[in-house]
Amino acid sequence: MLVATSDTKATAVRNPGEIVFENVSVKFGALHAMGPTSLTVRAGEFLAIVGPSGCGKSTLLNLVAGTLPPSTGQVRYNGRVVDGPNRDVGYITQRNYCLPWRTVEANVQLPLEFRRFPPAEIAARAARALRQVGLGGFEKAYPRQLSGGMLQRVMIARTLAYEPATYLMDEPFGSLDAQLRLRMHAELLKLWQDTGATFVFVTHDLHEAITLADRVVVMSGRPGKTKLVVNIDLPRPRDVVDIQADPVFGVYFKTLWHALEIEG
Amino acid sequence: MTESAELQSSPRAGGVLEHAKRRGVLYIQILLLVALIAIWQGVADRFDTEFWTSSPLSILAALFQWYESGQLVTDLQLTLFEAGIGFVLGSIGGGVVGFVLGWVRKLGDIFEPFVLSIYTLPKIALAPLFVLWFGIGPLNKVMFSALLVFFMVFFTTFQGIRQVDLDLVANARLLGARRVDIWTKIAIPYSAVWVFTGLRISLPYALIGTIVGEFVAAQAGVGFRIKEATTYFNTAEVFAGLVVLMAISLLLLGVLSLIERRVMRWQTADTVSISDAAGTT
Repeated sequence: MLVATSDTKATAVRNPGEIVFENVSVKFGALHAMGPTSLTVRAGEFLAIVGPSGCGKSTLLNLVAGTLPPSTGQVRYNGRVVDGPNRDVGYITQRNYCLPWRTVEANVQLPLEFRRFPPAEIAARAARALRQVGLGGFEKAYPRQLSGGMLQRVMIARTLAYEPATYLMDEPFGSLDAQLRLRMHAELLKLWQDTGATFVFVTHDLHEAITLADRVVVMSGRPGKTKLVVNIDLPRPRDVVDIQADPVFGVYFKTLWHALEIEG
Repeated sequence: MTESAELQSSPRAGGVLEHAKRRGVLYIQILLLVALIAIWQGVADRFDTEFWTSSPLSILAALFQWYESGQLVTDLQLTLFEAGIGFVLGSIGGGVVGFVLGWVRKLGDIFEPFVLSIYTLPKIALAPLFVLWFGIGPLNKVMFSALLVFFMVFFTTFQGIRQVDLDLVANARLLGARRVDIWTKIAIPYSAVWVFTGLRISLPYALIGTIVGEFVAAQAGVGFRIKEATTYFNTAEVFAGLVVLMAISLLLLGVLSLIERRVMRWQTADTVSISDAAGTT
């Protein structure tokens, strides 16, 4: 289980992030990768971004994280222009950034050490985060001893540990099998509900986007721009299996599918 | 716990088999060693090659005599001291310079040709110059060892630091890492494999530096003894010196790999014990 009920209340975020993209475009040399585009991510919402590959979905996340400067326009995070690494966000990608020489526990403690938390709190928070993702008992294991799914949980635990106001997720479950994926969806929804944090979730899986998000943004092909924003008015809390049987789910799927298909 | 099924655990029986195989190899190695020594002795006795090749028994006698005279201990102490200090100085120097030039790319690019041109110089040729600069005492040998070690450790550290995954560094910045954190918690551990390789390769070079220094000019030390014995055509004593040198290099390498295994434990972590530990909690 990703999120155990008894533990989650403590991780509620006080100040979820609001993200504003204002006429943002990104060029890599001669390559016009993205934009100009404008988009507002509301504080505390679950926003999914879909689009053809190479349309700059990940670029949007990098802009929020501050690891990539926009070529034009600006990105504001909680009213403040992002101009360097944004430490308020937790960034989870398909890549696993575990340090192989550190145990699972020490990996989860890493951001807390960076942020100069007192030692007692570092230990307590890491232990709690690991329990939350269901990795209690694996504290002393090394990353190379874990499977891909477990490593992904370590990355999530590492992010949970410092309670970021915003979670940026770039196809985090891309490498997992369908069953595990569905389980992770349920757990992610629970995490979102319990923390109240803002989630920006990039995926190319429409099922995933509809299941999780409040709004789904469809991006056009390169240079990527927001092309369509669809409100997903499915009731919450959602059941990741039942929701797919909802007739409205199919309607959303069709709408999004057509929007993407025109891109070819 | 269901997750233990996800662990890539290797069956325990495989480990036992591996162990037995390794023991078999050890037996063969010991046998081979004994055979070689026996052949050496036999050839020396039968074909009277003692003058050129000495013989294991004569070497043993020479070693014993060397020890009895009390010279062995003083020679060993001196040589080990010179090589040891040289090794430490050279490693620190090579490590620090390698780290800085590897990390600050611009500096590295500027200095690389300079370092390279000194590196390609056969450094043995510098030995006489070192006598001029540092005299014929221990300082000369220390500096010469340090020079040889410096380049080995410098290049591996430089390589290792340049291998550091920049995505990982960017990720660490997001996690809140400051500059110091990136160095101490990402870059240095990341390049540790390389640094240890450098240390392992350079350890014999520390000894080479000292021995060459002692060949050129000295008053004591294992290298000095070997050279002295050569001038008297005392082959047994020369070989005794070589045996001592071999023994100390092997010993030092053993110590180093012990340290390495401790520091790099994550590389050899046993998959089986972890799933067991998880099962009991």
